[in-house]
Amino acid sequence: MNFRLSQVLHINLTEKVSHIDERPELFDTYLGGAGVASKLLEDECPSRVDPFSPEAPVIFAIGPFTGLLSSMVKTVAMFKSPLTGNLGESHCGGHFATALRFAGFGAVILKGAADVPSLVLIEDSDVRVEAASSLWGLSPLQVEKSIRSPNQQGMESVASIGIAGENGVYYSGLITDRYHHFGRLGLGAIMGGKKLKALKVHGTGEVPLERPTEFKDFYEEIHRRVVQTEEMRKYHDLGTPVNVMLLNEMGALPTKNFTRSRFEKAEGISGERFLEALLERKISCPGCPVGCIHLGGLRTGFNPQHELGRREAFEELELIPYNYEPIFALGSNLEIGDASSVLRLISQCERLGMDAIMTGSVLAWLTEAVEKDMIPRQDIGDLEPRWGDAHTYSQIIENIALVKNQFYKRLALGTSTAAEKYGGKDFAVSIGKNSPAGYATGYGFVVGTLVGARHSHLSNMGYSFDQEAVKSNLSLQQIVEKIADEEDWLYMYYSLVGCYFARGVYDEETIIKALDLIGLPKTGKELRNLGNEIFQRLYRFKVREGFNLAKEEIPKRMTETETLHGKLNPRRLREMVQHYIRLRERQGLHLRREDEALTELLSTTVET
Amino acid sequence: MRFHIEVERPERCIGCYSCVYACSRHLYGTLDPTRVAVFVRVNKSLENPFSVIACRFCTRPECVLACPQGALEVLPEGGVTLTPSKCAGCKNFDCIAACKLGALTLDRRTKVPVICDRCGDCAKFCPHDVFRYEEMKA
Repeated sequence: MNFRLSQVLHINLTEKVSHIDERPELFDTYLGGAGVASKLLEDECPSRVDPFSPEAPVIFAIGPFTGLLSSMVKTVAMFKSPLTGNLGESHCGGHFATALRFAGFGAVILKGAADVPSLVLIEDSDVRVEAASSLWGLSPLQVEKSIRSPNQQGMESVASIGIAGENGVYYSGLITDRYHHFGRLGLGAIMGGKKLKALKVHGTGEVPLERPTEFKDFYEEIHRRVVQTEEMRKYHDLGTPVNVMLLNEMGALPTKNFTRSRFEKAEGISGERFLEALLERKISCPGCPVGCIHLGGLRTGFNPQHELGRREAFEELELIPYNYEPIFALGSNLEIGDASSVLRLISQCERLGMDAIMTGSVLAWLTEAVEKDMIPRQDIGDLEPRWGDAHTYSQIIENIALVKNQFYKRLALGTSTAAEKYGGKDFAVSIGKNSPAGYATGYGFVVGTLVGARHSHLSNMGYSFDQEAVKSNLSLQQIVEKIADEEDWLYMYYSLVGCYFARGVYDEETIIKALDLIGLPKTGKELRNLGNEIFQRLYRFKVREGFNLAKEEIPKRMTETETLHGKLNPRRLREMVQHYIRLRERQGLHLRREDEALTELLSTTVET
Repeated sequence: MRFHIEVERPERCIGCYSCVYACSRHLYGTLDPTRVAVFVRVNKSLENPFSVIACRFCTRPECVLACPQGALEVLPEGGVTLTPSKCAGCKNFDCIAACKLGALTLDRRTKVPVICDRCGDCAKFCPHDVFRYEEMKA
């Protein structure tokens, strides 16, 4: 096995065959992760293909430092998203990346569709597609327990979809190794459409080090910074749920479908409360000594007539991962102020394989739409959602995953599509057809999510520039410029593939040194240019597939929420987007489709 | 420098594999979790606690007793040392099966067992104090 990545594994699910391409130049040029996946997506995805077409590829890519350096643990997936009808991009931790690395692969491309429920088995270079009907309908946890080897050597990873993915819920995910997710943009539904229930990757190879002594010293330095300095302390301690109280105090915690930005019951769902009342264990990704994944204990009573009625004896304990975004989405945004109830809803999403943020967004919109009498009574049936009612929400989540009837089928398509049918678009909190994360921080958050290639707060850190703007008086134009720069930089970082949480440790100097150690010397300017190139390629893909930034709407609700910048002015938001378009066009990126640009040009000619 | 090392609190393990990778770097200057003397094992699901396994430095080690070639020898302070030349050519690998803890594995390349040399790197890189370790007096 090589020190540097080179192999792309192609798997055809229809024919049940696979082959390996040696592509060292691909990895030397684009490093890995987002860079390599963006190139493979451009090459492999037919123009305007239906996301559910067998021709639509699913691409996974890891990075040059996977397994080699602390916190370089993620896999990037790219696909055509059913939710947005456009670029699907999702990053996942767990054992998946490392298992692929030890199996020898830098990237995997899945194409075609199986005729019966199937399982992909990658055992080093031995790759098989096998029928697996007995796994269909199981939760990701049940699948993991069924197929993980008892005495594995090397590294093994199990990734599977839940029932929501099987049933094509547009925001279902692919869950790996119990606690990690390819979430957000509907990879689960795409896998379900291909009848692919799970992938098992088992790698037993070796990554030889070229300059072992230097590498050891460098590794130690990074390890020390990750474990012993303040740089990642937040993730060692409360984890991201520390944000609940921080954001609530500054007035930026989205509450009750973004109608407010403070939640009176925030303490009940705070990181501190989760730590005291529920935290049982922490785990990490292989190769990352942080342990940012916080697991809360969910106790469920059953058979109270047995065990002499002793409570503790008839409770089962399930360990559920919690972090800030699900707590906001299934907590404050639904006015649920009790940590165990939030954990119960997270557990429901985990079991069924649904994205927690979008699930929360759909439920919040639905509750408001029902309050406003916009949903026919016969559609709602007995399950009338009310703010704070976790029990009913839990049943609605299950009905969505099971796509129980036409009403739930519409909810399974995401907030903005459901609102197109029933009305209530003004309060359908969706940006670029994705549900935004939990930051009512201001202009940077909304614009950053809108312009980001994958419409995520992790695209470009807009929420963080809002906070910076308050402290150091940044102009809105400066926020736009920072958003553009940050997204370029992060696309380079997501090619390595680093965890977002460790982005502070991997500053420019550190990355340059790391790349030099593996024989891929780059300057800071080259790194930024590479990030920009990757971003541009993804945006060209988006434009090709029909995305038009100039025509994207921001729901009215985003201008009704109090933020750090007060209520956002729609005109200013529009100006920021225009500024962004001009900035990107100066870089040579055309954000409109050629035919549309041409129409505009012709109509201008006629007018003059 | 050599260390007394003990897997004292495996329940604290977060599954970061820092110990495994450190062992691989130390023993072979490489990254290969199959050729190591410390193991982190997943028990059917990440939901279950990890198992952390390393040599316990037995004073009457079954791996030594199982070796028909005398390639493994017990050390006065416990633990074993290997003479690779005596080991070469063995096809039975009884030593691997003899360790009921499962702390001994075979280097697939050289076909000899991987022996812990008490360097202590596993413990030094563990961020969660799974190991108890102290320097051995000369």
